[in-house]
Amino acid sequence: MHTVSRKSERLVNLTIALLATKRYLTKTEIYNSVEGYEGTPETKERMFERDKDDLRSLGIEIEVGSFDPLFNDEAGYKIKQEKYQFELGDISSIEVSLLSLAAQAWQEASFGDVAQRVLLKLRSIGIPSDELSIPATVHKLNDGGQDLSLITKAIAQSQLLAFAYLDSSLKINMRSVVPIALSTRNGLWYLSGVDQEIQEIRTFRVDRISSAITASEGPSDFETPTGFDPSKALSDSPTHDFALIDVRVGKASSLRALAISTQSLGEWDQIKIPILSLDSLCSIVLWHGPDAFVQEPAELRDLVVEHLVALVENHG
Amino acid sequence: MVRKFSAPLERTARLLDLVPYISSHQGISLKELSKVFKVEQTQMTSDLTTLWMCGLPGYTPLELMDLDFESGFVTIHNAETLSKPRSITFDEGVALVLGLDLLRSALSPERSDLLDRIDLLSQRLAGLIKLPSALSATSVVNQEVSAAITDALKSRMGLEITYHSLYRDELSTRIILPIEIVETDGQLYLSSYCYTASDFREFRIDRIQGASVQAGLQEIPKNSAQQLSYTCTIKVLTPTRAIAERFKQSELQVNTAFDFKTYSFQWIERSIMASGRTVCLQSPPDVRKSVAVMAQTMLDRYKAR
Repeated sequence: MHTVSRKSERLVNLTIALLATKRYLTKTEIYNSVEGYEGTPETKERMFERDKDDLRSLGIEIEVGSFDPLFNDEAGYKIKQEKYQFELGDISSIEVSLLSLAAQAWQEASFGDVAQRVLLKLRSIGIPSDELSIPATVHKLNDGGQDLSLITKAIAQSQLLAFAYLDSSLKINMRSVVPIALSTRNGLWYLSGVDQEIQEIRTFRVDRISSAITASEGPSDFETPTGFDPSKALSDSPTHDFALIDVRVGKASSLRALAISTQSLGEWDQIKIPILSLDSLCSIVLWHGPDAFVQEPAELRDLVVEHLVALVENHG
Repeated sequence: MVRKFSAPLERTARLLDLVPYISSHQGISLKELSKVFKVEQTQMTSDLTTLWMCGLPGYTPLELMDLDFESGFVTIHNAETLSKPRSITFDEGVALVLGLDLLRSALSPERSDLLDRIDLLSQRLAGLIKLPSALSATSVVNQEVSAAITDALKSRMGLEITYHSLYRDELSTRIILPIEIVETDGQLYLSSYCYTASDFREFRIDRIQGASVQAGLQEIPKNSAQQLSYTCTIKVLTPTRAIAERFKQSELQVNTAFDFKTYSFQWIERSIMASGRTVCLQSPPDVRKSVAVMAQTMLDRYKAR
């Protein structure tokens, strides 16, 4: 515990000294004035190098410069206030409340700890917040153990992500993707990016990634496609194929949820549904049993009939 | 994973963050401060003792921070250098941007004043962490429903819910006492005692179409019926991702069977129907039979066309 305390004390003192100084401090000045640098010159040197790395890993940027750019002086160090501080410009009580609610949306998962830390910082700005004044109940966000940090860093730096992905027939495919967006909807996470093999944007469900994700340097000529809206990536798949399905009045709600138009036929309604995947639509039709009847297209009807024949054979 | 720091670094971060927190909460009790920073009170005392030794080079009383906590209440002066909260890290910015986006989807579109502020904040944050607007979070749960659930959970009150049962495909009204919100496979469920069923039930929150808080409910009966569960045996004919996800199986092999527990025959019947030719239900025999009858009825209708 003692060494922990000495080290933390030295790091805090170093931070204060480098923040408070107006000009760059040389190593010698630091060793002579900052409490905690002891031992031979080599020991001090090693200590200081490690301390710099440690502060960097805490997100504290140390600038290197010299007193006088005209002379080839010994390098000096300082920390810029504006980089050290949380700078959001003029901020009102309502904005602090919004940010606090945003941080509270995270559940106690690994990202939950991150959110807790940022909440503390928000509370330290010294502007009162009143979350109850915001008329919204926010659901909880959960990273579900996914490596969101790796994915978001890769988006920021246009890195290349490689992973194994389970396709619909349970085969594992290796994918190489330059990620451009991350989105979550009702607890599931989706990663969108440019699939390097086909050079098109594809969206992947993160929990269907069956291997560790590895990040490497992305293609140097990569340009982030413009006009891509991550919030629409899941719902906007253009299609020109539609199915006509009869559904019993008051029934088959999951099919109704997909419909773009409904026409009443008395005891039945006829609904029109855009076809994104024949297999998954067929599965929903079968789920609703005798409450749904496919009129068009023939392909979908044939597929349903094919499954029904197998079901009768297998269970008769 | 989000990186964990070593003990001295973790502590350094805490010491640096303590200064602005105390500066903006002068006179906070030691107990409260320990709770906020999630450490034992002895650790907090040790932290404050260390901080008390820190200051500007020179380290005379003039340069040291003026920290007082002997009375059990903490005040700090002479700490201007560290008195502003530290800048946010990349991960913290990501957490805020996603949280704000989720908040946006929970606000009524009429509150354009708040929505505009959210957009501005997101842009500023994205600028700070140098991440283009590439993050999105949405939730499709009815706002009134989620507000009623939150109220009921907070005040331990009951709820009257209108629930859409997916496998019965009908709406029902139930009186429930919500216990907690649980998440399974990306879906949120409200784990509750259901007075209508006299038993514990889990309700998918996105299928609750209306909810209102009910006062004055009886206690949950102590000897409430044990939930009956049925075991089904399902043979895999064609392994697909849909089966793996529907029946929560991590591995599937052709012509091997697995057991699956369910509380509802209707659920299993519909799941087998939806799986079509890819699986075969081996037991229980009465559900097997009803699947065959249902499939035959549907088939007859398609053939009669």
